[in-house]
Amino acid sequence: MSSDAHAAMSPIADIPLSHHFGWAWWLAFLAAGGLVALLAYTLISVTIIGVGVWGVNIPYVWGLDLINYAWWIGIANGASLFAAILVLRRHDLRTAVNRFAEGVALFAVICAGIFPIFHLGRPWLFYWTFPYPATFEVWPQFRSTLTWDFWAISTHVIVTSLLWYVGLIPDLATLRDRARRPIVQRIYGVLALGWRGSVRHWAFHQRAYRLVAILVLPLILIMQSTVAFEFAVTLVPDWHETRQPLHFVATGLAQGLSIVLLVAVLLRWGLRLGRYIDEGDIDLLGKLVLASALVSGYLYVDEIVAAFLSGGLAQEATFARMTGEYAGLYWTAIVYSVLFPQLLWFRNARLSTLAGVFIGVSIGVGIWFDRFSIIVGGLQVDHLPSSGRSYSPTLPETGLFLGTIGLFAALLLLFVRFLPVVSMFETRHDEHEEKFS
Amino acid sequence: MTQPAYGIMAEFKTPEALTEAVRAAKHAGFTRIDAFSPFPLPGIAKELGIRTSTVPWIAFVAGLIGAAIQYGSQYWMNAVDYPLNVGGRPLHSWPAFIPASLIVAILWAGAATLIGLLLILRLPRLHHPVFAVPGFERASEDRFFLCILHDDPKFDNAAIREFLGVLSPMAVSEVPACE
Repeated sequence: MSSDAHAAMSPIADIPLSHHFGWAWWLAFLAAGGLVALLAYTLISVTIIGVGVWGVNIPYVWGLDLINYAWWIGIANGASLFAAILVLRRHDLRTAVNRFAEGVALFAVICAGIFPIFHLGRPWLFYWTFPYPATFEVWPQFRSTLTWDFWAISTHVIVTSLLWYVGLIPDLATLRDRARRPIVQRIYGVLALGWRGSVRHWAFHQRAYRLVAILVLPLILIMQSTVAFEFAVTLVPDWHETRQPLHFVATGLAQGLSIVLLVAVLLRWGLRLGRYIDEGDIDLLGKLVLASALVSGYLYVDEIVAAFLSGGLAQEATFARMTGEYAGLYWTAIVYSVLFPQLLWFRNARLSTLAGVFIGVSIGVGIWFDRFSIIVGGLQVDHLPSSGRSYSPTLPETGLFLGTIGLFAALLLLFVRFLPVVSMFETRHDEHEEKFS
Repeated sequence: MTQPAYGIMAEFKTPEALTEAVRAAKHAGFTRIDAFSPFPLPGIAKELGIRTSTVPWIAFVAGLIGAAIQYGSQYWMNAVDYPLNVGGRPLHSWPAFIPASLIVAILWAGAATLIGLLLILRLPRLHHPVFAVPGFERASEDRFFLCILHDDPKFDNAAIREFLGVLSPMAVSEVPACE
């Protein structure tokens, strides 16, 4: 296996070690950087001027900021859940997909975290949500779902980043050992923490990694439910539903899977990783996305049936969302997140890069409209006579959304450039197993 | 030999050869053995009697402590130190305290496991004697190493070299100690 493996691992390790980034990378990074600049501009303007620059007003106090928050959290949770399940099932797909699925989760939760902080209006006081002994002797109110969110986001960021980094250590050691330039050797050397591949170290590493992967599963379910509870515990008729957590968890999973599919096909195409993320992997991923889209479809049917079974104000509110001023959002969500993915029934579509990109984006767009429909459309019918106002996002809000997409893309681009996107030690292991089975 | 060595290292081409070598070394009565490989080899870990059962205990105990601290602090802050009557709802609303307690339990368990992992492995340790072995950089790629450590009761330079030579390694070299 020796010289084989040596050659086989080269493409993955060569990407981070090459000095040639390629024009496509620079072009993409420039575009993403532009959007990050836009993000900085919108964040500074909302900090200096205040949330008045957004289109939010009573009753629509949760505008694009919370829509995007719920959307990014869905991606983060879906991708995390998927990565954790792959590790636990010891599925072959994990070798190909796990590393960047965790990366997608981490970058998405960073983007998500921006929104609630700036939604506070005075973002520099965000630490007030943390219970610290303040001079004014007030503690956070833990009976409110909003404080649960603080713990959920910070836990997700800390645990996912630790898990991702610990998983990377052996591969960083490979990069350290392959690097030729002293400065590169030194950087990867420090990051690898002196990993020397001792069998004893491997045994502990694998045990700890799998254990934390198990811990991520309940975390994701609780976290996504916490987001849903923020809606469900209010008295708004359309939100006050027990089905809310299920809706958020299931559609979030579809969304996370679709972004993993999108990144997988782009990596395969852009970095020519066809050998490591092979046809079987992409085919399986396509089937998973299709299955999750069908579950989303089931939940939309459930929503309609539940509305028929309810009655009174709740029924009126749900029907207002489906037929009222914002009905377009609701039906767009169904078309993009449930109908378009049906293309994946065809094997050709599952294996095509173009179809993968289209469906990956399509589910993302669909669920974005779903969150929009819930957050804005759900407020049309309330216990109080409506003030007749409507909501439309302003330019700074749109800029904030585009900016986080830029930040996500920039982080992803840096990741694919400087770190191995496919786990090298797992690939080595698999190739060895294949050879001797 | 004036300078005591860290150990004697043999290099192998395949994990099977390494597994054989570890078995032979154990059979020959060596007890202080370390093996290095580019991917996990659970078989050898078992052979060397490496037990990883501390890891779940760290997670479990840390998780319990985290949950207890979170629940306790929520109770103390909202029911004892700063009781706030919100529409007559009970101050000790335990169902509302559960989600954050579970989340923080996971935070403590996850962070303790991964940070504890580094403590158990005594990493970061950027410099280590084994890195001085020529060709050791391929231990992170496609080579497999067996090291018999100097503190083994049966450590004897010449005898070990002879013993390792029989296992047909690619190379045998002495690992110089650091200080």
